[in-house]
Amino acid sequence: MTTFANALASAAVVVTVGAVVVLWRHRLRSIVVALAVQGVALALTAGLLAGHEHDRVLFAVALLVLAVKAVVIPGLLARVVAATPGARETDPLVNVPASLVVAGLLTLAAFIAARPIVALVGGPTGRLVPLGLATVLIGFFVMVARRRALSQVVGLLLVDNGIALVAFLVTSGVPVIVELGSSLDVLFGVVVLRVLLARLTAAGFSDLDQLRSLHD
Amino acid sequence: MSPLSLLAGLGVLAALAALAPRSRRVQLVAAILVAVEAIGAVVSIRVLATDHALMGRTTSLLPITGVRIDLTPLGALFTLTTAFVALAATIHWLGYRRHAMSSVSATSAFALFVTSLLLVPAAGDIVTFLVLWEVMALSSLVLVAHDHASRDEARQAAWWYGAMTQGGAALITLGLVVLGAHAKDPSFSSIAASARHLPGAARAAIFLALFVGFAAKAGLVPAHVWLPRAHAEAPAPASALLSGAMVNLGIYGIVLTRTLLGVGPAWWWLVAGFFGVISALYGSLYAATSTDLKRLLAYSTSDNMGLVVIGLSASGLFYASHPAASSLALVATLFLVTAHALYKSTLFLGAGSVQYATHERNLDQLGGLARTMPATSVAVVIGALAVAALPPLNGFSAEWLVVQSLVHGLASADPVTTVATTVFVAALALTGGLTIVAFVKAVGIGFFGRARSEQAEHAREVPVSMRVGPGITASACVVVGVAPGLALTAITRASAVVAPHPSGLTATLAGFHLGALRGAVDPLALALGAVAATLLVAALRRSRGPRTAAKLRSFEPWGSGRTVTSARMQYTATSFAEPLQRVFDDVLAPQHDLDVSHAVESRYYVERVAYASANDDVVERRLYRPVLALARWWGLRARGIANGSVHRYLAYGFVVLVVALVVVS
Amino acid sequence: MSLATVVVGLVQLALVVVGGPLLLGLMRRVRSRLEGRDGPAIAQPWRDIAKLAHKQRTRPTESSWIFAAAPLVLVATAATVAALGPLISLTPPLAASTDFIAVIFVLLVGSVALALAALDTGTAFGGMGASRALTIGALVEPALLVAVLALSLPLHSTNLVAIVADGLRHASVLVGPSHLLALASFIVVILAESGRLPVDNPSTHLELTMIYEALILEYSGPDLALVTLGESMRLAIWLGLFVNLVAPAGIAANATAAGLVLGVVAVTLKVAVVGVVVAFFEVTTAKLRLFRLPELLAGGFILALLGVVTGAVMR
Repeated sequence: MTTFANALASAAVVVTVGAVVVLWRHRLRSIVVALAVQGVALALTAGLLAGHEHDRVLFAVALLVLAVKAVVIPGLLARVVAATPGARETDPLVNVPASLVVAGLLTLAAFIAARPIVALVGGPTGRLVPLGLATVLIGFFVMVARRRALSQVVGLLLVDNGIALVAFLVTSGVPVIVELGSSLDVLFGVVVLRVLLARLTAAGFSDLDQLRSLHD
Repeated sequence: MSPLSLLAGLGVLAALAALAPRSRRVQLVAAILVAVEAIGAVVSIRVLATDHALMGRTTSLLPITGVRIDLTPLGALFTLTTAFVALAATIHWLGYRRHAMSSVSATSAFALFVTSLLLVPAAGDIVTFLVLWEVMALSSLVLVAHDHASRDEARQAAWWYGAMTQGGAALITLGLVVLGAHAKDPSFSSIAASARHLPGAARAAIFLALFVGFAAKAGLVPAHVWLPRAHAEAPAPASALLSGAMVNLGIYGIVLTRTLLGVGPAWWWLVAGFFGVISALYGSLYAATSTDLKRLLAYSTSDNMGLVVIGLSASGLFYASHPAASSLALVATLFLVTAHALYKSTLFLGAGSVQYATHERNLDQLGGLARTMPATSVAVVIGALAVAALPPLNGFSAEWLVVQSLVHGLASADPVTTVATTVFVAALALTGGLTIVAFVKAVGIGFFGRARSEQAEHAREVPVSMRVGPGITASACVVVGVAPGLALTAITRASAVVAPHPSGLTATLAGFHLGALRGAVDPLALALGAVAATLLVAALRRSRGPRTAAKLRSFEPWGSGRTVTSARMQYTATSFAEPLQRVFDDVLAPQHDLDVSHAVESRYYVERVAYASANDDVVERRLYRPVLALARWWGLRARGIANGSVHRYLAYGFVVLVVALVVVS
Repeated sequence: MSLATVVVGLVQLALVVVGGPLLLGLMRRVRSRLEGRDGPAIAQPWRDIAKLAHKQRTRPTESSWIFAAAPLVLVATAATVAALGPLISLTPPLAASTDFIAVIFVLLVGSVALALAALDTGTAFGGMGASRALTIGALVEPALLVAVLALSLPLHSTNLVAIVADGLRHASVLVGPSHLLALASFIVVILAESGRLPVDNPSTHLELTMIYEALILEYSGPDLALVTLGESMRLAIWLGLFVNLVAPAGIAANATAAGLVLGVVAVTLKVAVVGVVVAFFEVTTAKLRLFRLPELLAGGFILALLGVVTGAVMR
């Protein structure tokens, strides 16, 4: 087991663990911190790959990921959280232990589902694809099972981070322009959502289930 | 053939001896049955010792096909286990007859039940197997319905049991008959030879039919609903046999299916493993939350059979990738089956003794029996520690072997098998934890602490025979636990009938060594070490200071400063399980009913608070009840067809005749 | 079982017996200091045990044999594991059968005996303690066994000595993500099994909030001394096994005198460090409500599960 393989796997695992922590913790602040740590781990994955393949462009992508996903987006979300200090995901639609068990099952499902990709790519990078896929699935589940608007945004970002992880692992570096585009897209999306969130909070909706009342 | 025909003949004789006068009936039948069990034990020991199957055939007994006997080491292991459990149950019965099970029908049914249980694993062809299987099912049905006149629950139990067992038997018959139709004769050996040429889809369908049929007998969820009813309502010696011998034959059936059809594709075993996991978790969860001692034991049986099927599934899944681990899983599974038979029969017989002494099986009404019934309680404590898989008892060895087979099978597993194995380990672990809760509750609430009712307070130790019965099975739990060598040799031979690849497992006197697969455990060394340490510490405790020397003073326990404490202040089985019930609220969906009536003068004064909580079986409530309701609705609708008018019935016949004529022409 | 291995076993046993209460004392001392108090001396638990040992034994009026037997079983099982586990050397007695699962289940015997004894007292507190302790124990079990499965992946063996030896030989195993995740989940397991915060508050004496103290409420005199000793030994064993799985450095590869001395020093220092860290963590953490505990334990389980999956994908 080479050091590179170990380090890469550890970084990828941290991305998945970050998604699990989002399900695990109630405090919105902790959730945002987990997202930031996940961003760092994602950047680290890209950086390790760049270092391993001596790919300068990929290194630039890693820096970009670090800036956007570990600093800017969590920063924006942290400001939303700061507006309501001590805000918590008090009564999720699926309770925390059950959510964690579901996350475990999703991880196992990802492990099975990623078989073809693993076989196709192979090597120390390709075999980590299940972890990225698991992150995507857990992100979706966060959107399904959590009430807070902020949690929904975080769920979306988890999906995005998971896809990014898979992309890094499969292609050893997305073309920088694609990564730039997608990062900016996400950033733009988060800004819009942040504004929307602020409006929703101002209007007294922080639990998205309450939006059902608009139906009548 | 001759020893087994002697066995069968004596069995029938025992059933007829039930017609003897009441005063001597049970003693007479029990004496003959002990001979029957001894023959069963000797024959199966000989098969296991020589490693040669006992074969035989006679055309005189059954028409057309005759009777074919083929007692392989695999079958011999089941027969031997049954013989041992049946011996304990028969001895227990000698005392228990004063409480129940002394009527002609029950005595005779018990004799037939024991005989058929001993003979089913010896059946060498389809017809013999099915006939014996039916005798077993019907005789046990009579025993389950034993209290039908006095208790509505017993009637209900008999209905459920009858329906499930006949449904299962129908599926088994279907599967075996289809298999037999393609073979040159109905013997299992020629079926096994011809079944390999069947198309895949047909084999899969047969596998599913047989698996479901046998799983219903083994009490796997969701076909378990009969089990907590039947095991709880049957008299104790019969419950011990239901749980210690009959459910085993469901497992025997699944192993037999594997020998007939071959290991087959992985998905068969994934299906089996799924139901194993569900049964293990569901059974242990309900065992942990039950308050009726016998229901608790019954759910635990469902849980243990789940673990057994997990082991079978692992064996099937590893077959291609890791044959040694596959064989190890099968050995572990068979070890678990025998271990379960021993400890569960101990517990059921013990529960019968409690019922005999107190007329009570609700844990919330028991307590303090360790002082009034010391011998019974020691046997039950040993059984409970064994089922909780604590070393150095046989339950621990069995569970350790199962985990080892999973750990090693993971070595060369593809992702699907890896995932299944991981789920198995997690399920095994949670089941183990819940089982500990269940049995600490059963023993701690039922046998320790203070008596919670008059009956428990005035319980007397049961007659000698009722102490000997559970005593011998409990001792066997200890002996097989600390010195697994002899048992393991037999089990390895039995397992080799199905999975010939050597597992590498060897047993010394003291423990297990996995050979090429790395791993070993020495229960005997652990036990000796712990016992030595216990004695040493006890000696130290005794030797402290002259004034305090070993004088033990009794005090009222702490009651938060109140001096009056009563037995009702203790935790009950319900309150003991309450935290778990809350944790698994979504799964169990218990029904609570809180009724507060206020005083007329002011709402601030409460006159009476009534709290009721029902924790009935959620599968029964959510799955069976709606189906039964639907069936009933159809039945009511269909009543219009038969309104009693002769003209209408004649019209039906006329229409059918016309249609038949048209179709035939 | 050669003489040398027996010596190793006896040294380990002596270390755990002597060191267990001292570890407890150290952790209490650190907590007190962090809370701004001076706190009792590190040797205080030993003084308590010595004092209790000279008092008279008592038992509740309607208790039976299990009440008297449980403290013995608790200490004896802990002593068995202390002698057989890889604490100071890789050559404990019966090293070939020092199985991780066997170790867990032997310790479990002690817990079960104590729970039965608590029910035997015939009080509400005993029942409450037993019920809560076992519920937590049941929910910990999946995390524990799946963590063991993850640790067993490199060797396909649950032999504890072999796992520790493998870590000593190949440092890359120790920093592998699978190993780290398994150990992370192990931390949750240890906190729950030994009744530390945030699972249970070891310094509380209010009947309704406590788990472990309710369990042993009726013990006094020499029996209480044994229970205290047994519990501290168990804590020392859990932490000792943990540190040797995290960083086996210093453990004696064979049974030479110098190696054993080094092994004793190494494991003592490592356990002391971890004990201080745990104490620090306890000061900064609040106790979780009983019904929030499944969240913590499910978290531990999921970490172990990720450990298995990571280990499996990296094969």
